[in-house]
Order: sequence, then C-alpha cells, then structure tokens
Amino acid sequence: MKDILAKAVKTAAQEFGAEYAEVRAQRLFKTMLTLKDGRVEAAKQGIENGAALRVLVNGAWGFASVGTLDAGALTKYILDACKMAEAASSKLKTPIKLVETTAVEDKVFLKPKKDPSKISIEDKINTTSALNDTVLGYDERVKSCTIDYLDLAGTNYFMNNEGAYIEQEKLYVWSRVTATAKEAGVFTFSREEVGSTAGYEVFDVETPEIVGERTAKRAVEQLKAKPTKGGVFPVVIGPNVVGVFVHEAFGHLAEADLTLSGSVLADKLGKTIASDIVTFYDDGTIEGAFGSFRYDDEGVTTQKTVLVKDGVVVGLMHNRETAQKFNAKPTGNARAEDFRFEPIIRMRNTFMEPKDHSFEELVEDVKFGYYLKSFRGGQANLDGTFQVGIQEAYEIVKGELGAPARDVSISGNTLETLLKVDAVGKDFELWPGRCGKGQTAFICDGGPHIKVREVLVGGGA
Amino acid sequence: MVVALKQEETQSLAENTVNLAMKKGADEAEVFVYQGITSEIVIKRGQISRSARIIDQGLGIRAIVNKAVGFSYTNTLRGKTAIKEVVLKTLTFARASKPDEEWRDLPTKKPFASVEGTYDKDIVELPSEDLVKTASMMLDAAEKTDKRAFPIEGGAGASYLSMAIANSNGVEGFDHGTIVECSLATIAREGGEVTPVCFEFNAERSYNIDPEWVGREAARLAVSALKAKKTETKNTSVIFTPVALQQLLYFTLINAVKADHVQRGQSAFKGRIGEKVASENVTICDDGLLKGGLRTWRFDGEGVPQQKTPVIERGILRNFIYDNYTAKREGKNSTGNASRAGYVSTPKVEATNFRFTPGRKTPEELLGEVKEGLLVYYLQGAHSSNPASGDFSVVATPAWKIKNGEIAYATKGTMLAGNVFSVLKNVSALANNERKIGQLVSPWIRVEDVKVVGR
Repeated sequence: MKDILAKAVKTAAQEFGAEYAEVRAQRLFKTMLTLKDGRVEAAKQGIENGAALRVLVNGAWGFASVGTLDAGALTKYILDACKMAEAASSKLKTPIKLVETTAVEDKVFLKPKKDPSKISIEDKINTTSALNDTVLGYDERVKSCTIDYLDLAGTNYFMNNEGAYIEQEKLYVWSRVTATAKEAGVFTFSREEVGSTAGYEVFDVETPEIVGERTAKRAVEQLKAKPTKGGVFPVVIGPNVVGVFVHEAFGHLAEADLTLSGSVLADKLGKTIASDIVTFYDDGTIEGAFGSFRYDDEGVTTQKTVLVKDGVVVGLMHNRETAQKFNAKPTGNARAEDFRFEPIIRMRNTFMEPKDHSFEELVEDVKFGYYLKSFRGGQANLDGTFQVGIQEAYEIVKGELGAPARDVSISGNTLETLLKVDAVGKDFELWPGRCGKGQTAFICDGGPHIKVREVLVGGGA
Repeated sequence: MVVALKQEETQSLAENTVNLAMKKGADEAEVFVYQGITSEIVIKRGQISRSARIIDQGLGIRAIVNKAVGFSYTNTLRGKTAIKEVVLKTLTFARASKPDEEWRDLPTKKPFASVEGTYDKDIVELPSEDLVKTASMMLDAAEKTDKRAFPIEGGAGASYLSMAIANSNGVEGFDHGTIVECSLATIAREGGEVTPVCFEFNAERSYNIDPEWVGREAARLAVSALKAKKTETKNTSVIFTPVALQQLLYFTLINAVKADHVQRGQSAFKGRIGEKVASENVTICDDGLLKGGLRTWRFDGEGVPQQKTPVIERGILRNFIYDNYTAKREGKNSTGNASRAGYVSTPKVEATNFRFTPGRKTPEELLGEVKEGLLVYYLQGAHSSNPASGDFSVVATPAWKIKNGEIAYATKGTMLAGNVFSVLKNVSALANNERKIGQLVSPWIRVEDVKVVGR
C-alpha cells in the first residue's frame, strides 16, 4: 500500500509540481441491520475500498475521490485533481497555504475487547431483537420501534509529500432506536443512540434492556405531557441537552472555517462571551468515546483543545489551512466521513466542564421554569441564533420537578444565552451522536447540569 | 467527465450477478448497479479556491432465502472473484436473518414510462473551465449587488448518474441522467451586525441554469436581512418559500403519506383516505415523471416504473405512496416510490417529485393581500419537529415582517409554533412561482393564523 500511495504523491508533487499532495486510502467493512417492529428488514453488509487524492496547485485545492486502490488509477486521478486545481486557481485572489506540522510516521492498532467483526450476524440480530422486545414490551401504548445498527471496521492509510505515513485502524459501533407511542389521538416520539470506538462491549454497559426501557418510558410518559407555555423562562438543562447546546450553538461557531466565514465569534478571540463559570473543551483523546481518534485526516495528532476558559474564548478548532490563517497550531480537527469526502473541520467530543452545584441546588430557586433533559435535534446559524428541540422536558414549579412537557424547544442568541448561565452542576455525562456538515461525523457531546436564568421557550400550538 | 461504465457493461453486470445468486441458492435475487460522477468548483469565503471530482460506483445485491432478506454491496466491480464473494456473503446473511412472513416477492416486469428532460449531453461533456466560469459569474453578480454582502460558500457542480437493475422475476432496466447546479450562501455585515446565512441555488437536469440570478438574489436577501428587529407574539399570516416548506414538510407531511409509516401506525393520516385533510386550495401529486424533475427517472430503486400519484386533491387525501413490499402487504401495486442512496442501501419508501399544484397569483399579489404577517425563507430546527404528531416549534430565520402588503423589516429570534396538519388546513393561497428543491416542487404558499412567537 505504501508504494502505491508514494507513487501517486510523487506524481503530483514532482511531475506536476503541486505544492502539496496527499493520498488517503481506505479499506472499510460495514455490517448493518434495520429492524422495524422486530422484523429484520435486511441483514446488510458492505465493502468499500477507495482513495481520496488532494493537492494544492497555485494555491487552490484539487480533490479527487475514486473507488479503487489501483496504482494506475490513483496516479491518473491525482493528475486530474492537479488539472482541476489549476483551472480553479485562475480566479484565485488569496492563495491557500498550510501551517507547518510534524510529519508523523506511525501505525495505530486497536484492541477491542469484543471485536464486532468477530461477532456473528446472528448475535447482532439477537442483541437488536432484544432491544426491540424491551421497547415494544414496555407498554401497550408503544406502537412502533425502529432500530438501526452499524459497525464499521477498517484501515486508513495516509501519506503526504512532507514525509507523513500513517496506518490507522478504525472501529465504530453504533445503534439508534426510535419508538412511537399513541393514546387518544396523541402521538409521541422518542430516540436513543449508542456509539463507541471501543468495541461491541458498549452493549455490556448500554444493554438492550437499559436502552430499550429509556426509550420506551419516555415515549409513554410524554403521552400525558402538558403543552408547553411559550415565553421566556428560567431553565435547568441536563447533560444531554447541555452537550447539544455546546456542540450546536457554540461549537460550530468555533470551527475556524465558520469563524472565518463571519460567525459571531470572528472578533471574539480573547474576549469574554460567557459567565466566568463556563469552560468548554473539544477533546479527541477520550478513550473509546465516539468522537475519538489518534490522528486526523491531515495526519495531525489529536488533542484536548480548550475553546472557552472561565468565560473567555481562548481557542478555535483548526485544520492546517485555518491554523495558517490564524497563525495558530493545528488542533487535529480535520475529518472526512470517508474517501468520498474532503477533510473539513469537525468536532470530536465537545463538552462543558463541571463545577460545584448539586441538581437540587440548581432547581430550588426556580418558581416556574422547565427542566430540559433530552434533546431531539438542534441547529445554529452563523449569526449566533440557535434552536434546540427537546424530546424530554418537565415543568419546574416552586423549586420542584413537575409534570412532563411536550415538544419543548428553546432558541435564542448563543452569546446572550451563555452570559445567562447562573450555575453549573458537578455531575458529568457524555453522549454519542452524529453531526452533519455536508458529511457525517461521529461525535460525543456533554457536560453537567446547568441553570440558565432566562431563555426563549417555544411551545406547541 | 469520463463515463467509466457503459450501458451494456452495467446491465450485463446486473443480470449476470442475479444469475449467479440464483445459482448459489437464492429464492429470489435483485442487483442494482449505480454510477455517479460529479465535478465541482467550490467557492469558500468570497473566492473560488477548490475543485473536486468524485467517482463512485458499485453494486448492491438483495437476496431472499426462505423469506429472509440479505443485502450486500461492494464498490469493487472488477474481477469475478470479488463479485462471487459478495454474492456468497449476501446469501450467508440472508440465511442468518429472520424470515419475514409478510414478504411476498420481488416486483415483476412492467413497461417503463418515458421521461423527458432528464439527460443532457452538454452536462456530461462540460469542461471544468465552464464550471469555473459559472461560479465566477455568480460570485461577480453577488459582489456587484451590494458591498455589504459576503459570499461564504457555494459553487457550481455537474453530475452524471447511471443505474441498472435486474431481478430474478425478469425485471431489467437502465437509465441515466444529469444534474447541473449552482448555489451561493451569503451573509451581510454592517456595523457589528451579522445576518443569518441567506442561501440561493438553481438546480436543473439540463444545462440551463442562471448563476447571475443566484448570485444577485443571495446578496439581495442577505442585505435585506440587516437591521433585524424583534417581533411580538401573535397569530398572523405566514408566507413560506419553497426552501422553508421543504424543511417543514420533509419530516412531517411527506412521512405521513409514506405507506410504511401508515402501516406502522406512525402517520396521522392512517385510515383517512377520502377525508378532507387540507384546505381546498391544496392539491399535491407525487410525480415521478415530471418533465425535468430532479427526481424523475424511468424506474424506481426496485425497477418499478415511476408514475404520477395524486396524494391530496383539493384538500382530500387520495393516496399513499408505496414501494413493492408495502404495496403487496395491502394487495396493491407499488407506486414506484422505492428510493435508494446509490448502491449502498436497500430500497425504502420516498417521495419522488412532491409537487404542489401552483396558483395563479404572482408572489407580489400573494404578499400584497397580507395586512400583517411574516415572509419566511428558511427554518431552523425543523428536523426536531415531532414526526408523528406534526407538531413543530422552529426558528424562522431569515424572515421578514409584512405590513399592509409590503415587506416592513427583517425579524430576528422569531419562532413559529404549531402543527403541520393545521397549517395545511389554513393554506389560503399559492403563488405561481414554482421551484424545485430536493423532492419538493412548490411555489410560495400563504398560510393563515400561524402562531408567531416573538419576545
């Protein structure tokens, strides 16, 4: 493999004269299952071999993706990428440069306790079927259950013309379960995800029974939930929702490509944007977490990056291109879903640092507000507006948790909201998820419970 | 672009692989061969700085043994042993899987309809330099429109797609097509204010796009989103543009008419065929044969001819959309709505071109009749709607306040809350400015009595 990659890199750099050339080859094996109400829709598997070829010519990027590892094809298409880059460079005003980085040579092997590729498809069907049975057996009001399962194993081979060569094993295990419940014309919906880079042993902790009950219980409890009052209220936010807030509402703004595109953080480096109890990290080093890896897809070593320290923006997430622009160090955030995609700046495991409050202390002075426990989805815009939809919420009445509330969502301006964080809890949870930015990345996010003194809550009708 | 796999090659690959699977012991087999070639010129932060060529091809096999379904895909198509291995693995998976008593059989051969405006040789032969020119015209148009507008990303792209299908019931087919598109996402900056991202695009099956319009419009939208004000909470008229509608309907209305959602009790429309579910202004067809439609093909992901299916006629729910499996469960015919994500997935029920019959009013007339309301271009958080109930609570951004028939000012932090099925009942008018976005084909649509949550 090394020779094939070397030939392509050499063709681009020496024969064509590209300033930079890299090849990222992959061999991937996937196993997938979809169960609908216990019916195995299909037991699925896939084989993908391919290469991503990337070059810088006259300061413009050329990229080609091909579904082969054939040396001739790689050489041919890296030249194609060079020519396309040359065409694209004709209108270039500011040539792209890359920050210097250590050229790593390394091989990364994984040692899962339970390697999913050694577990039979029958076992995987049994695990997902047990999950289905827990969900549908929980209560007769649970009407449907859909389960998706994926495991991915493979190897990445990375080489560039600066001397880097990395072979890195890849392993992901993921599952998502959704349930719907219905009673008296009310529909509810509940979702849970499991994700790990450690191995199939994740199901020993997140067992089908635990995950199934969590999913089904929520769908059923939401049936009797009250409609939400719209308006501005104090809220206590649980780790699962804090995570998605840190990721969506803040994290994307701190991806340096989006910061450069004019996100509201553009002029905020070194400035206070949040209460002094707010500290955020993006960390690729947490063992087994869904967003962890050793080297990113530009060959840069991953790290724990501090984004906000005591309310002050101290760092952004970079690739080699943005690090050069900011005169910063690359942070190892360049990730590509697979060889079909260019690496772009993505989050890893993004979270808020815990402090000192207990849950009771967070809730006790709230006269009327909401406790937001689990999210349904979230989204943000460069101008700093965010929206997070909640799948599990409760009223807080006179300092105590009250009735469940249905279809709550919160929105507002990220920076205004961060300044209103009044207290940060001492607990901590990290939740797996997937993030879309034109391509999918596996991530985690999380944090402790927090209290925000006011946020716009949008209710149902 | 160099088309790697020719028609005859693709078709014989599909047919030979089906035969092999049958020989190795499948009760039924189906093979889908897909090829996609895309060339892109990409704009980042105000300049053309990237290019990409993505060549993706592969085949997916569905094999059925004792009513249990196995599926495999591979992107390694050369070499007989590679294909044979995949066939054997598919059968192993099918044998390991659980039988599905509801499984009937794969589709049988039916004549494909003819389609128009889906393939353009000019797109296949388009040189990269022409894509650079398209992107450049769009960028120049945006910059000339207003200095405060800043194009953050976008680009121009051309794609060639081909697909062949064969199954053990005698279905065989080949189709290919092209898409060309350009898009621009722009923000405007003034003083300390940054607008939300404003996005315009143009996607067509024939080489007939207007990059200058896209550039001008993206810049104009962004600048008009400056000086945004907060709004008050009250029920008003709302005009949704097609992008906002697509976001609102994708997880709600479109799911509600899919037969699998209905059969599994996840649809609010279950058992309501023939009932009034929308205002009589609303007529929707799922039109898999729409001329030049972005999702128009001769056949669907299972080799069933695509067709035009009335979904809602003057407010009355007429039909759901089916793939082979869901149709046979009800003793019906598939409506040609099995969709695949290339070669890597099994087919699933999906809309083709989900088309609202447009109205006669111009967008200006639609706006002119609104005393007080909101014009919504884009929604944030629509994917967090409750897909079963249709309840939504989303941020409208960018959105503009309408007063006395005119745009008064841009709004910020505005939420819309309600239920998508109530929205359908309150549609008061549709304009005549139809556009294609993903699977939705729709003009501006005006809805009365929507809850706008301000602060």
